[in-house]
This record gives sequence, C-alpha cells and structure tokens, in this order.
Amino acid sequence: MPNASITHEPRLPESNSAAPALLFEQVSKWYGPVIGVNQVTLELHRGITGLVGANGAGKTTLLRLATGQLQPDIGQVTIRGVEAWNWRAKRLVGYCPESDVFYEEMSGFQFVESMALLCGMTRRQARERTEAAIEQVGMVGRSDRKIRGYSKGMRQRIKLAQALLQDPKLLILDEPLSGIDPIGRQDFVDLFFALAEQDRCLLISSHELEELEKLTNHIAIMARGRIAAVGSIAKIRDLLDQHPITIRMELADPRRTAALLLGHPAVVGIDLGPSQNELIARVANARGFFADFGRLVIEYDLQVQHLETIDDSTQAILGYLLGGRSG
Amino acid sequence: MTQQNGLEPGTSTLRAWLALVRLSIGQQFRVRMMIWIALGLLAITSLMILSITVLGDWRQTDDRPRRRGPTYGQHAQRLVAPRSVLAGNPMAGGVQDAITASISASLQTSGFRVFSIFVVFAVFQQFLLPLWTLSFATDALGRERESRTMIWLLTRPMPRSAIYLAKYVAALPWCLGFNIFGFVLVCACGGEPGWMALRLYMPAVIWGTLAFAALFHLFAAISRWPAVLGLIYSFFFELLVGTLPGDLKRMSIGYYVRSLMYDATQHLDVAPDQLNVYAPVSGDTSITVLAAVTIVLTIIGMIAFSRTEYREDLAT
Repeated sequence: MPNASITHEPRLPESNSAAPALLFEQVSKWYGPVIGVNQVTLELHRGITGLVGANGAGKTTLLRLATGQLQPDIGQVTIRGVEAWNWRAKRLVGYCPESDVFYEEMSGFQFVESMALLCGMTRRQARERTEAAIEQVGMVGRSDRKIRGYSKGMRQRIKLAQALLQDPKLLILDEPLSGIDPIGRQDFVDLFFALAEQDRCLLISSHELEELEKLTNHIAIMARGRIAAVGSIAKIRDLLDQHPITIRMELADPRRTAALLLGHPAVVGIDLGPSQNELIARVANARGFFADFGRLVIEYDLQVQHLETIDDSTQAILGYLLGGRSG
Repeated sequence: MTQQNGLEPGTSTLRAWLALVRLSIGQQFRVRMMIWIALGLLAITSLMILSITVLGDWRQTDDRPRRRGPTYGQHAQRLVAPRSVLAGNPMAGGVQDAITASISASLQTSGFRVFSIFVVFAVFQQFLLPLWTLSFATDALGRERESRTMIWLLTRPMPRSAIYLAKYVAALPWCLGFNIFGFVLVCACGGEPGWMALRLYMPAVIWGTLAFAALFHLFAAISRWPAVLGLIYSFFFELLVGTLPGDLKRMSIGYYVRSLMYDATQHLDVAPDQLNVYAPVSGDTSITVLAAVTIVLTIIGMIAFSRTEYREDLAT
C-alpha cells in the first residue's frame, strides 16, 4: 500500500489537546430493559487499542457511544474533552462502521468525496483529501467503479478512506479487517501501524483476539456490556492462569491417571469421558499443571495417546473472560 | 448557521449543509415505489379529466336535476318560452328576462364550479396533494433510515438539526415541483375552467405543499413507517376531521388549504351551499396558519431529530 499521508495539523479550538483522546466515565446504556453497556470506564490517549468481545458483548454500542450516535444513559463520553454527542466532537474522530451500507449508486471516489463535502470542505479540498485517502487505503485505479460492484474488501477500504478524511487524531474502527483477504489485511495492519506512529489513537474492535494480537499488545475485553479486562495480552494471560482450563486426554488407563491427577493442587475437577479411554480435567493453573504433568507421565508410565486443551486457543481464553462462553 | 472552523480555515458547517442539500436533492432522483404510484395517479387523473373535457362539458347545461327530468339547459329554455304570455306586462317580462339571463349566466360559468368541486377540492386537494407530498417528503429521511445510510450523515461534523433542515429543504423542490406540475397538468386537461382554477388556486397548492411537507418530514424523523403514518393521517384524519362540522376541523391542514381556495373564489359562487357549515377562515388567516404550521413543525422536527438515536442497524 502506498505510504501516502495527510500532513496538516487539525485546528480545533473547542477541544482540549491535553485531554484523553477518548474517555468513558462510568458509562451505562440501556435498550429498554436490556443493558448494552454497563458502567464502562475507559481512557485512551494514543496508540492502538484492541476491543474484543463475543457478538453481543456491547462492542458496537460502545463504539457508537464513542462516535456520538448514541447518548449514554449514565456517565459521560468525551473526545478530547468534547462530549461525543456534540457535533463538534465529530471533527475529532474518524469512524469506520461495521455496517456494510453505502450510497450504492456512487463510485467509491464519489462516495468518499461526498463525505468530504459533508465535512464542510471546499470542492478542491474535498478532491485533494479524497485522492489522498483513496491512495492511503490502496484503492487508486479502482475507486471509479460503482460501489455496488465492489468486493467486501474494497468496501472495507472505502469505509476506511472516509474515516481518514479529516485526518483525525482518534480513529474508531469497527471490525475493519472483516472480509479482507490476507494481503489486504497486511496492508491494513501496516497502515494502522503507520497511523499509530503518527501519535494517533486507534480503537479497533474485533471478535477475534488473534486478529487483534497482530495489531496491538493493548487489549480491552468486553463481556456482557462491561470491560472485563484492559491491558497487555501477557497481563491478561497471567490473569487467566487463575481461571481453570479444560484438558481432554486419551489414555491407556484413565482411571489410574484420574486418581493420580486428583492429588495435584492445580486440578479442580476430573471427568471420565464418554469413550472408554477418555479423561477430561479442569485445571486452575495451566502453566503449573503442565510443568508437573510431564513428570507424572514419565514417572508412572501413563501412556498418553492424545492430549488437547479443549479451550487453549485465544478464543477460549477470551471465553473465560466472557464467563464461560468462547468467541 | 454559524461558520465553524475546524479541520482547516476553509471548512465550514454552512458549506457542509449546502452539500447535504445538494446530495439529498440528487438522491431523490432515484424513483421509488411511492413515486411511481404518484406518477400513475397523475396519469390516470389527467386522462379522466381530459376525456371529460374532450367528450363532454364541465358546465351543468346537460346535467339533469332528476334522472328522467329535463336538463338544466332545457329548464332555462323553458323559462324563455312563456315570454310571449307576458307580452302585455313589460314589468313582468323584465323580471322574467332577468331570471333567464341569470340562469343562463350561471350555467355558462358552472364549468368552473363543477371543476373546482369535483376535481380541485375532492380529488386534488383532498387526495393527490397530500399523497404526492407524502411520496417525496417521507422519502428524504425515510430512505436514509430504510437503507441504513443515516450513519454517514450522523457521523459528519454537522448539527443534527441542520441535517434535518437540509433534508426538508432538499425535499421541497420535489414536493413543490411535482405538485405544481401535477396541478398544471390536471388543470390543463380541464380546458377553460381548468386554466381559471390554476390561476386562482395555485397559491393554496403551494402553501398546502409546504405545510404537508413539513408534517410528513416530521413523521419520517419520529417513525420508522412514515409513509404508513402519512397515509393514515391523510385519508383518515384529514378526511374525517376535515369535514366535520364545528371547530375540530381547524386542526387539519386541509381545512386551511380549502379556506384559501374558497377565499380566492368567494366572488365566483363556488361553494355557496357549504360555506355556512364549513365556516372557512379568511385567506390571510389561512396563509398565516399554514406558514406557522410549516415553521413550527419544522422546528419540532429539528428538535426531535437532534434528540433521537437511530438504531436501525444496531446489533450490540
């Protein structure tokens, strides 16, 4: 992807440049009796933050609160000190929504240019900024076609281009890598890194933790409307060591193994599986358990035929934080 | 609208607003079902009026007060006949001449009255005007909501009230254009009485369009089904309340449009039998009320739109 950039500095008299790029203060949002976001406090200044959570966890609600499409019922959302619901805050933020809707009759270029004009730019400014944004997302030469004929990846690029128009310090991207091919993903990842290096704040949502791991070490995990954890992935994994994981084993003698494992302090539960040689163990401290399990296998000649941690994927790690549900 | 510097000194909210008006006008080019229905109704109405104009006469000369009785024209002729009987009494003859001339003149101008009552009041003002306005006015915001593209407007640095106003302003050329064009076509198909109606009723059509457009645009801001709400309003509330005796009908927009039409033709005996019951207000009052309704409904819409969250495509 060409490394084009927009170099001017936004001039925003109403905003406070020392204030956090995005600040949620004890924010709650209900949809009738259903709570969408529950007492969320989040403060972002710069760099990339990944927002991860299962479908229905409240990610989109949180992002819509951040972009001023929804108003919090309790608490306050501000962007550089300006209330997010206030239209002036929209000068400070670029938003790439998850929803895949456009003015389909337009070409990609026309769409982005229209969005630029709706930001109050002159025709000349709008054209220049559109050209720059189109170049940034790698759509040069393809942006004159009608949007209705675009692939999912091209549509994602156009959505991202319009988010870049105002050269915002805060970029909020809802599932931006969804539907993009591996090469396109790498382009996007490179672009996100480049934007982050320009001292911008990027909040990127995804329901796949693995996807976000490639982008950032700073993750906020949402579950049931709450921010369940914020921090580096390593920190979250350490946190997870205190939560049990489930291990499935196929052994020559599962009953003897079960008796041995029950004495281990990390094992919190044992089940004999549905098949004759299967054993399922729930383990509290995974790292401590695996360190000892190797020794037990050799010492007691346990003849392990198969071993898998059913939920040892990042999806499962996420699942623990979500209260037992995986991705 | 204040000039708001933001990204660069050249960016302004006013320019953004004008761009939205331009964009929205262009978007309404895309003909949708309601507009096809409106065009179809215009074609059918025009053809019917044209056929009456070409094949018959809008005047009541050939109409019969009783099914098997003589026509109004024949009645007039019969009044001329006894003239010879009154030859010896010049005073009685003079009265007879005056009555005959009055009836003949009334029959000669009855075309306009018939056209007004059956085409302008019953068909155009009560049915076509609200329906055509509804087609465009609900579409301005309704289309954005239905196609879930509202998100692109709501994430632009523009006050929500300005977005609402821009959409209303963008809908007006279409509402006014279609209603004026439709009224011209309908009147043109009506021949002489049609041209007269066009000249006299056009201000009422314009004021009515502005007020109805403001109302239907508001429906689009507050409801997911503005067209349904508009149809219910037009064909239940307006028809029912607008024709009730008493003051309740003053709540309907159509009442003031009709009053304005009556005011324009008060010297032409258009609806003398209805005036006592209908009790229309004066033309000035009608214009004042219609203008006030337009402004107040637009302000209400701006406030409502500013406070409303649009969640059409929201999945938490």
